[in-house]
Amino acid sequence: MALTLKQQLSSPGGILKFLVKYNTIFIFILLVIFSALISDVFFTSVNLSNLLKQVSGIGIISIGMLLVILTGGIDLSVGSMVALLAVTFAILINLVILPLAIVLTIAIGFGLGSVSGYLVAYQKMAPFVATLALMTIARGLGFIYAKGSPVTFKTAGGVFMSNFANNSTLGIPNIAIVFFIIVIATMVMLRYNVFGRLIIAIGSNEEASRLSGIKVNKYKFLVYAISGALAATAAIIVASRTNLGSPNMGMSWELDAIAAVVIGGASLNGGRGTAINTLMGVLILGLIGNILNLLNVPSYPQQVVKGAIIIFAVLLQRFESK
Amino acid sequence: MKNSENEYRLEMSGISKSFGVVSVLKDVTLKVKPGEIHALLGENGAGKSTLIKILSGVHHKDSGTVRLNGEEINPKNTHEGQVLGISVVYQELSLVNDLSVAENIYLHKLGASKFWMNWDKITKDAQELIDSLGFTIDASAKVRNLSIVQKQVVEIAKALSEDTKVLVLDEPTTVFDPTDTKKLFDNLFRLRDQGISIIYISHHLDEIIKIADSITVLRDGVDTGTMAVKDTDTDGIIRLMIGRELKDLFPARNVEIGTEPIFEVKNLTAKDTIVHDVSFSVRPSEVLGIAGLGGSGRTETAKLIFGADKKKSGTLILNGKEIKTKSPVDAAAHQIGFVSEDRKEEGVFLPLSIRRNVSVTNFKSISGKLGFINVDNEYKKVLGLIDKLNIKTPSSEVDVKNLSGGNQQKVALAKWLSIDSKVIFIDEPTRGVDVGAKIEIYNLINEVAKKGVGVVVISSDMPEIMGISDRILVMHEGTIYGELQKEQFSEENILRYSIGKALKQHN
Repeated sequence: MALTLKQQLSSPGGILKFLVKYNTIFIFILLVIFSALISDVFFTSVNLSNLLKQVSGIGIISIGMLLVILTGGIDLSVGSMVALLAVTFAILINLVILPLAIVLTIAIGFGLGSVSGYLVAYQKMAPFVATLALMTIARGLGFIYAKGSPVTFKTAGGVFMSNFANNSTLGIPNIAIVFFIIVIATMVMLRYNVFGRLIIAIGSNEEASRLSGIKVNKYKFLVYAISGALAATAAIIVASRTNLGSPNMGMSWELDAIAAVVIGGASLNGGRGTAINTLMGVLILGLIGNILNLLNVPSYPQQVVKGAIIIFAVLLQRFESK
Repeated sequence: MKNSENEYRLEMSGISKSFGVVSVLKDVTLKVKPGEIHALLGENGAGKSTLIKILSGVHHKDSGTVRLNGEEINPKNTHEGQVLGISVVYQELSLVNDLSVAENIYLHKLGASKFWMNWDKITKDAQELIDSLGFTIDASAKVRNLSIVQKQVVEIAKALSEDTKVLVLDEPTTVFDPTDTKKLFDNLFRLRDQGISIIYISHHLDEIIKIADSITVLRDGVDTGTMAVKDTDTDGIIRLMIGRELKDLFPARNVEIGTEPIFEVKNLTAKDTIVHDVSFSVRPSEVLGIAGLGGSGRTETAKLIFGADKKKSGTLILNGKEIKTKSPVDAAAHQIGFVSEDRKEEGVFLPLSIRRNVSVTNFKSISGKLGFINVDNEYKKVLGLIDKLNIKTPSSEVDVKNLSGGNQQKVALAKWLSIDSKVIFIDEPTRGVDVGAKIEIYNLINEVAKKGVGVVVISSDMPEIMGISDRILVMHEGTIYGELQKEQFSEENILRYSIGKALKQHN
C-alpha cells in the first residue's frame, strides 16, 4: 500500500521516517542551503558550472562503480583506467579522425574492463584482487605509453573536444550533460530493462539467481566491461577539459566513486542502489569540496570532513533498514 | 522412577512470542521433571524450535515465565543458558570444521576462565566424554574429517560437557542408522537415570513411543496438552499434531496420469557428490515423491538434473528427446524448474519485491526489443499469480523478506509457474510453513500436475510425501534403493528402504 506523501508525514514519527528514507536527497538539500547561506559566491553560475564540471568525470565512473557494486563486486581499477585511457585518447586524437579516436578509446576501455570481468566471472577471482591487479597494470601502462609526461592534443579534433568540454549548452556544461544522460540511461536500464533487473537479482542472491537459470557469469562479466567503457568516457572528458592526457589523472578516483555510491545508499553486498542516489552521492561529495574551497579550508581538513560525511550517511541508512 | 509430585525441573508457562506481526507461540506451557525424557512434538512450523530457542536464550519471549528448579530464569544469550545448565543440540550442526573434536567440545569455555588452555587435559577430557558415549572418535581429529554421524555425536558430547540439567535434542537421529540410534537411546536412558531432564524433538513417532516418558504437542503455536506416553498411541498423537484427520490435509488426486514418460533419467552419476546410477522416469500429471534420509542424495540428485552440480555420466530424456543440462541456464531453457529446499539462501531474493522475484525466470514473455520490460504486462502476470497462489500481501511491491515462510515458499513456486515448466522438482515444499499454507501448497502441486506437468517432490516429511505422491522412490546412499506404489505406502516401508533394508514380507 503506497502511502501518499501527506500520510507519510502525518503518521507518528512520519517526518523522521521520511527524512531517513530519502536521506541522500535530504543531505544534499541541506548542504545546498548551508552553502548558499555561508557563501555569496556559491549561487553564482560560474561556481555552479565549475562544480558540475568538476564532478562529471568522477560521476561517470561512479555509475560504472554502481553497476559493479550492485552485483556484489567492486572495481578498484577505474581511477587508473581513466589515466591510461586519457593518455590513449590523447595519442589517438593526434593519429586518427576524432570519431574514430572516441570509438577506439571506449572500445579499449570496454576491453580492459572485460579483463577484470573475465577474471571475476569465469576465473572466480575475488573482485577486489582482480581489479587491484588491473589498477596497477593500467597505471603502469599509462606511464609507459605517455613516456612519463602528459600527451597534449595537437589536432583540430583536439580543439573541437576542448571547446566541447569547456562550453555549456543552455547554461549547463556540456560534460555535465553527458554525465546526466548516462545517469538517466542507467536509471531507465535498472528499472525497465532485463539487464538491470538481472544484475540487481544477482547482487541480492547469487545462488538463487543461478538456480533461476540466469547466466550469472555473463552479467558479472558485462558489468566490469561496462565500467571500463564508462571509465573511457570519463577519460575522454577529463582529457578534453585540459587538452591533454596525463598518466597522473584519476588518482584515487576509484575511492571517491565508491564513496559516492555508498553515500547514495547502495549496499556493498550488492542488490541495493539506484542511479539517482549515486548522482546525489556524487553531488554531495562535490559540494563538500566546493564549499570548503570557497571557505578557504585547506585540503587536509577537507578530507576529514569527507570521511565524516560518509560515516554519517551510512549510519543514517543503518537507521533506515531497521 | 519416583519423583516428588509437582516437582518440575523446568517450568515454562504462558510463553508467547511474535516475530513482527506473525504470532509464533501463544500461551505455551511445557513442564519437564528431573529424570524424564519429554518429547516435544508438532509439525514443521508449529513453534517447537522457537520454544527451544527461548529456553536456550537465542530468542526472547514476549511474555510468560521460565523456571529452572523453581527459580525464574531469563537467559539473554546462549552462553547464559549454558551456564544455567541448558544444553541444546540443534538439527543443523554448529561445529567449527577447522578445529579438533576436543576444541569444538570445549569451544564455549575458551573465552571464559583462564588465559592459558591446557590442551592435553582438554583432549583427554573430551576423549573420555566421547568414550563414555560408546562411540569411537579420536578427540584430536579435525572435525572436517569426521562423518556426519560422528559430527552429530560430537554435538551431543559438546552439550554434555557442561554440568547439564536440561538437555534438548532436536531431531538427533535423522542421520543415524539403527545401531547408532540404539546407542544414542542407551545413552539417553543413562542420562535420564542420572536425573537429567531431556527434551526430545522428533518426527519419528515410533521412536517417541519407544523412549519418551511424556509428550507435549504443539500445533500452530498453541500447546494441545501434555500426556504420559503410556496413555496414548501413534494415531492419538497424530490427531493432536494436525488437529484433523490426515485425509483432510491432502487433496484428492483424481487426474489422468499419462502413459508415456515426460521425463526420464538414465544411469545418472555425479562428479562431486555421492549420487550414482540414478534412473527413473516421471509421467505427465504424475506427482513422484523422492524420500530418503538426510544425506542420501535426494537434493543432490535434483541439483544434478538441474545442472547445478556437475555430472559424470548419464542421460536425460525430455519428451522422448535427449537433452543436456550443463548449467541451470540449460535446464531452465528446457522448461525444467527447481524449487530449492533452502528457500532463503537459494530460492527467493529476500530484499527484492514479489514482482521482481517472480519476473526473474520470466523475462522472455514480458520484455520486448533490447530487453525493455513491458511493465503493464509484468504487473498483470504477477498480480495474476499472487491471486492464483493466494499469496497474502498488500501489494506486489512488498519485499519478500517481509512475508511469512509459507508465502515466501509460494513466491519461490510462482517463479517456476510463471513459465510453463514441463517438469518441476520441488525440494521440501513445506519446510517451515504453517498448516494453512501447507494445504494451499498441496493443492497447488495438484493443480500444476493436472496441467500435464511432471512434478517431482522431495520430502523428509513422511505423511506429506505419502499424502501427495502417486509413487515414491526411496534413496539410500546416493542411489534409488526402492520404489513404492501407492498401495505400498507406509512409514515403515519408506524407512526400511531408506536404511537399505528390504520390505517385510506379508503373508
